[in-house]
Amino acid sequence: MIEFSNVTFIYNATRADGVKEDTAGVRDLNITVNDGEFLVLTGGSGCGKTTVIRLINGLIPYFYNGELSGKINLENRDMREMSIYDISEKVGSVFQNPKSQFFNVNTTDEMAFAAENQSRDPQEIKTMIGTTADSLKIESLLNRNIFDLSGGEKQLVACAGINVLSPNIIVLDEPSSNLDHRAIGKLTDMLKLWKKQGKTIIIAEHRLFYLKDLADRMLVMEEGKIKKEFDADAINRLKYEELDGLGLRPLVLEDIPFEKTEETTPEKFVELKDFSFSYKDKLHSIDIPNLSIPAKCITAVIGHNGAGKSTLVRNICGLEKRCKGLLTYNGKSMKYKERLHSCYMIMQDVNHQLFTESVADEVMLSITCKKMNEEEKRKKAENILRDLDLGDVTEAHPMALSGGQKQRTAIASGIASDKPIIIFDEPTSGLDLCHMKQVADRIKELKRFGKTVLIVTHDYEFILRCCDHIIRMERGKIKESYDLNEKTVNKLRDYININDGGKENV
Amino acid sequence: MEMGLKPSTAKGVFRLDPRTKLALLITVGIIMMSGKYTGVEYTLRLICICVPFILLLSVRLYKSAVIAAVLLLATVLCEGFIIPKTSGLVNLLIMIVCGVISRFGPGYLCGWYVVRSTSVSEFVTAMERMHFPNVITIPMSVMFRYFPTLKEEYASIHDAMKMREIGQSIKNPFTHVEYILVPIMMSTVQIANDLSAASLTKGLGTGRKRTHICNIGLTPVDVGLIVIMTGMLALFFIF
Amino acid sequence: MEKKFGIRDLITVGVFTALYFVVTFVVACLGFVPIFMVLMPLIGPIFNGIPLMLYFSKIKHFGMITVTSIIIAILMFITGHPYPIFIFCIVAGLITEFVLRAGKYESIKLCVVGSATFSLWLLGMVIAFFFSYRESYFASLVDGYGQEYVDTMMSYTPDWVFFTMILMCLVGGLIGGLLGAKVLKKHFRKAGMI
Repeated sequence: MIEFSNVTFIYNATRADGVKEDTAGVRDLNITVNDGEFLVLTGGSGCGKTTVIRLINGLIPYFYNGELSGKINLENRDMREMSIYDISEKVGSVFQNPKSQFFNVNTTDEMAFAAENQSRDPQEIKTMIGTTADSLKIESLLNRNIFDLSGGEKQLVACAGINVLSPNIIVLDEPSSNLDHRAIGKLTDMLKLWKKQGKTIIIAEHRLFYLKDLADRMLVMEEGKIKKEFDADAINRLKYEELDGLGLRPLVLEDIPFEKTEETTPEKFVELKDFSFSYKDKLHSIDIPNLSIPAKCITAVIGHNGAGKSTLVRNICGLEKRCKGLLTYNGKSMKYKERLHSCYMIMQDVNHQLFTESVADEVMLSITCKKMNEEEKRKKAENILRDLDLGDVTEAHPMALSGGQKQRTAIASGIASDKPIIIFDEPTSGLDLCHMKQVADRIKELKRFGKTVLIVTHDYEFILRCCDHIIRMERGKIKESYDLNEKTVNKLRDYININDGGKENV
Repeated sequence: MEMGLKPSTAKGVFRLDPRTKLALLITVGIIMMSGKYTGVEYTLRLICICVPFILLLSVRLYKSAVIAAVLLLATVLCEGFIIPKTSGLVNLLIMIVCGVISRFGPGYLCGWYVVRSTSVSEFVTAMERMHFPNVITIPMSVMFRYFPTLKEEYASIHDAMKMREIGQSIKNPFTHVEYILVPIMMSTVQIANDLSAASLTKGLGTGRKRTHICNIGLTPVDVGLIVIMTGMLALFFIF
Repeated sequence: MEKKFGIRDLITVGVFTALYFVVTFVVACLGFVPIFMVLMPLIGPIFNGIPLMLYFSKIKHFGMITVTSIIIAILMFITGHPYPIFIFCIVAGLITEFVLRAGKYESIKLCVVGSATFSLWLLGMVIAFFFSYRESYFASLVDGYGQEYVDTMMSYTPDWVFFTMILMCLVGGLIGGLLGAKVLKKHFRKAGMI
């Protein structure tokens, strides 16, 4: 059992140039979590749900600095008397980003890691790994290089590791962020297994639809306090409009209404012919005999992980020299260099594409017009930044900004580059409802500027909000390509509701 | 340079404990370094030249084994026959090249073998068995785990640079380096943070004893090899 | 020393040693072009200095650099470099420790000096070239060329080159450190990551 009594925590984090940290703490929190309970924590960004998770797994105060007051009891022991080592025996954690949460390179080693740290008997550990692999059907993930796995598979390995350790309490911080629907299905199976084992589960999430049947209780937080509480019955009775009003993503995806606001008939297309490419390891490849992407429209590229979406998009962008086939835009055929000139990509990890020491410089970096002098470039940059709500941080270092601001900086650079095709790679990973709506609005603005937008995404709610056209990929080939309207939205719904037995990759 | 990820690919007799491999490295390194051409030492050197070839074969790194054989054979032949016959600058050049290859080649090739045939966990477990403190083994684990991540980060940053068409010309090498290094350094800081947090929640601690599921142990083959190596070193130092 | 080393420190050591090593390796590979190979002790530390300075800024107590130098020595050894590398690495590491400690881990100037002293480990890679080479060369040439020739050759080739290399390491390290300090100020301090 976990008891929070009047817990307040304030982070010690302000940036050097005065730009404040987005994460708030919690204030005067009183929560009791019973043994075996499945608790969902949700709310907008900065509401404090991650802080609660960190308070339970001990990262506060052992890792994050700040002022902590109040009392937390973990299984009737005051947490302040426990070292993080003691806590880790009782609490297992799954984090949002699979990339940086594993310590080993080999999957089997990683699964054994937490148990090894607790000095468990090696034979026992090996048996547990076998049992876990059996019950989750993940034998194919044993003894492999973690770097070869997809995001969903990595999360599964992380969860398997916790299963091997078998602590009583498991906390998860937005575990579905980078996962596609099939992977979320596997995650749901994992959670069901844990619930059956009687574990206490606390999960902080934005994407709520997969938790509806698992949650015993849901707490909606705002600014560090609990705004609303729902028990299992109440959760079942919640309607789409109520959730929307609370700033929460929908619990049932079928409920989301679809309204097509504008009919756009595309005149020009980006045509791909005999487009093919395969990586050197021959594992991921694409093979597209024909594809027409409507220009000046917003197109979503969907498909399970490993289907080839990123590969396709990278080739369209011109990042691969060895790409075979023809790409024509506006009647002009483009080789990879010209594609680089015409495409701008907002990457999934925005940190990889910010290079300068001020937001304004970052945008000016993209202005390559030789006719403009410094003054004019700066003016143009500042105008774009103001339109994107970044007017007061033009001199800040891009890395000091919040995630959303960084993304907008990248978008600003994209607009400044005057390139006609803009590509987004998972722009709404980990975003709450409010920010997801904002991103959708920005992208619609890009369309008004006349840009052709391609978005690789898993986010169904987001697609409904802003996309005109859908391309679905599977195993490197195009399975479907259709305009999104009231008639075709069912195709999309079918895809999301597909419950494969998980044939190959997660 | 990637450590093998699966346990040693050698089968049966040839599966060596990492500690034996270290012994091999030390022995070959020392003997080859101060090579003379006469007497007992020369015989020892010849044996050492063959060692990497055999080792590479034992883990089925055929391509490397062939390259090793060709290189070393060439140097031995050169030293034996060509050098006495040439003079002046040519002689000097050949001597330098042969000297370098024969002196350091076997050592480096043994190194290549060790790197390719040992998995990270075997290596770290061996170090812990040799009583290397946590202070050294934990950072080494982290290091090997970070190499592939660095590669991925670099690839992504390189893509971004290509896409934004910056840093492509070699005109200003320092800007180019800045564009690459700065994002990598920033991501290093971030990953160090995330990794520390995750490891702490998984119970990693400096003072604790951990158990290992990794199987390494000294077999008779290992012991035999270590005895032979010690013998060779003894001979080496006596003569 | 165990008590002062928390997990966070050890992971910092691991991650930054990896970064440093990779940068060294990449720069060394470029050194296959003959002209550059001779200048490696100069060019290497110039580039290495940049991540090294970031690493220094994260170091707050004794021992971390020494661990890095030991790890580098081990890495070099298992890839086949002869054993003198250990001595050079550890000595360079220890000197750097004292340099950093003198500035109470807060002085940037001393960090720059530390960058220079740490770079000295590179000499461990080349020292073997000088010692062993001389012996065998001597042994094999005496028959063919006579003692005098050999003596002359030996007298001027290895020695001064070695000392120039020491100088190159130090100078390169200083430049690298200064560059690193500039990068830190321009980016990391501004972004609040220090």
